[in-house]
Amino acid sequence: MPGDPATAVVLPTTDDPSVSAERRIELFRVVLTHRVMEERIMTLYKQGRIAGSVYTGRGQEAVGAGAGLALGADDVCAPLNREMSCHIARGVEPAHIFRNYLGRATGPTRGRDGNMHFGVPERGVFPLVSMLGDLVPVVVGAALAFKRRGEARVALTFFGDGAFNCGDVHEGLNLAGVLNVPVVFVAQSNRVAYSTRTEMAMRNPNLSERIEGGYAIPCARVDGTDAIAVHVAVRNAVERARAGGGPQAIEALTVRLDGHAAHDDGRYMDRDLIAEYGTRRDPVERLAMRLVLDGVPRAEVDAVRAGVIAAVAGALAEAESAPAPDPADLANGVYASPLS
Amino acid sequence: MAAETITYLEAIRLAMRDAMADDDRVFLIGEDVGHFGGPFGVSTGLFDRFGASRVIDTPISEEGFVGAAFGAAWMGERPIVELQFADFVTCPFDAIVTVGAKTHWRNGIALPVVIRLPSGGGVRGGPFHASSPEGWFVGVAGLKVVCPGTVDDAYGLLRAAVEDDDPVLFFEHKGLYRRLRGIAPPPSHRVPIGRAAIARSGTDATVVTYGSGVDLALRVADALADVASIEVIDLRTIWPVDADTVLASVARTSRALVLQEASRSTGAGDHVVSLIAREAFASLDAPIAVVAPPDTPVPYAPELEDAYLPSAASLRSALEALLAW
Repeated sequence: MPGDPATAVVLPTTDDPSVSAERRIELFRVVLTHRVMEERIMTLYKQGRIAGSVYTGRGQEAVGAGAGLALGADDVCAPLNREMSCHIARGVEPAHIFRNYLGRATGPTRGRDGNMHFGVPERGVFPLVSMLGDLVPVVVGAALAFKRRGEARVALTFFGDGAFNCGDVHEGLNLAGVLNVPVVFVAQSNRVAYSTRTEMAMRNPNLSERIEGGYAIPCARVDGTDAIAVHVAVRNAVERARAGGGPQAIEALTVRLDGHAAHDDGRYMDRDLIAEYGTRRDPVERLAMRLVLDGVPRAEVDAVRAGVIAAVAGALAEAESAPAPDPADLANGVYASPLS
Repeated sequence: MAAETITYLEAIRLAMRDAMADDDRVFLIGEDVGHFGGPFGVSTGLFDRFGASRVIDTPISEEGFVGAAFGAAWMGERPIVELQFADFVTCPFDAIVTVGAKTHWRNGIALPVVIRLPSGGGVRGGPFHASSPEGWFVGVAGLKVVCPGTVDDAYGLLRAAVEDDDPVLFFEHKGLYRRLRGIAPPPSHRVPIGRAAIARSGTDATVVTYGSGVDLALRVADALADVASIEVIDLRTIWPVDADTVLASVARTSRALVLQEASRSTGAGDHVVSLIAREAFASLDAPIAVVAPPDTPVPYAPELEDAYLPSAASLRSALEALLAW
């Protein structure tokens, strides 16, 4: 029978009573929007309608969604390129994201940068930089500003098990602890950095153990394909940081289902892991299963799916009609205080 | 009563003190800047006056605390970062050129951070404590690079840098810290970023320089006063450079010499040579001369460092050759 955990192909998410029915549907909508947008983006890329490259977060959508929805309106964050769902959770419009991929003049970087390389200042989102680890100290500094001013705000960023080999990450973690600032780190252990499996890149791949043991920062380890588990863990961490508990961390275990970027088929990945995470642990379907088990009518779940697909199609059409950037504008904004 | 004089180092401290007193958003962060007062004592007394939330000691983590300064600036603060030695800017280079320089252009987020970098030789610091690495940042869109060569500019440029909405690299010369003295500037004193100064007017040749070169050029110009009238342009901001002032001077004198303490092929020198060659070639009566150390790291032994650095003798002989054309 559909929805019976005993026979379900898909593993439902956890059923945490602290997460309301409305929040569960919101998580589903955000995770699904991320998935559907990236499917469209990959198609556009293959059609030659997106220049450069495309980096998807397929299989990891629950992490950005669970974390993004755990933040308050005045909190700030710095998502990376597998965390489109964090932008969506923060209220960034899909059309705005598409405009960045399409390099449009009215997009967040006005065509100056592409794909997930953008921030949305009015939503408290700092722009990604490709040098992994750089944003860890940046959010520590944002949290330092909150602490200095006595504001009950929190800063959050993500890093992968790949970036955990960068010095910036470790300097940032240590500095966060020394300064005791309200910051939350979400580590995505997706098992691979480009083509290099994590076990080839670190002797101890248990990031939560290393963050807790090395930096005395509490670090819960959660199933990163379970949006509700991620959401609860990050929400609790945000609350502790906001209450003056200092830096907090979460390690979300996931598997990157696509290659590093669109040109990479990921043939080096462990096929059994991909099979498991692409089916039973698919973050979208795990939430859908949860909703069904919760008693949400199938028709309602299907309506959310149809609504997301329609909204994404509308957003893409809107973005495609946006104007291209003007090369004459290129030098504007190099400086915030231009020299006369 | 004679006006109070202060050193170049004290001018920097005074500028930080006044900026912090005027604006709660300004704070100092770096290694040993707190109770210890910094390795050169530049921040002495600031911790006692402003406390631990305004004068913040850090671990040895330049990538960490420079990145954190940008994050605090994102949230509206105006941090001043002290690096112990300008040489150590290799460590946070990425944060500066990746996050600091590009964020406003990409995304419209202003990052008003001042990074103070004690640079320069003559202190027997050797390859890791005597460099003049300012040239690495010349040409980086989004950064501003200032190099005060006087007490007045040390104060006025630092106040202007703190009030500027962009990342500003403030290269303060260690050799000038206690050697230069001047009248304490009033708290209202500002030196505009991006404007060179005519440090000495002349008609026969232009010396374009900055930082430690200013005092050297003025001394040599005075010594040559009987034989030639030398104009000295103090760039003050080496990036973006004040092309108008440089070109107008060269147009008047028709001879140009670029003097810098950075090794020959780094620094602002070649940028200025290129500017003059492109824009003022028709004004020139002689090839553009350059006085700068060779392309080696800064050596330690006094015999080596003294030979390495530009000197009054090397500048004078280069000027005489330029004037002989």
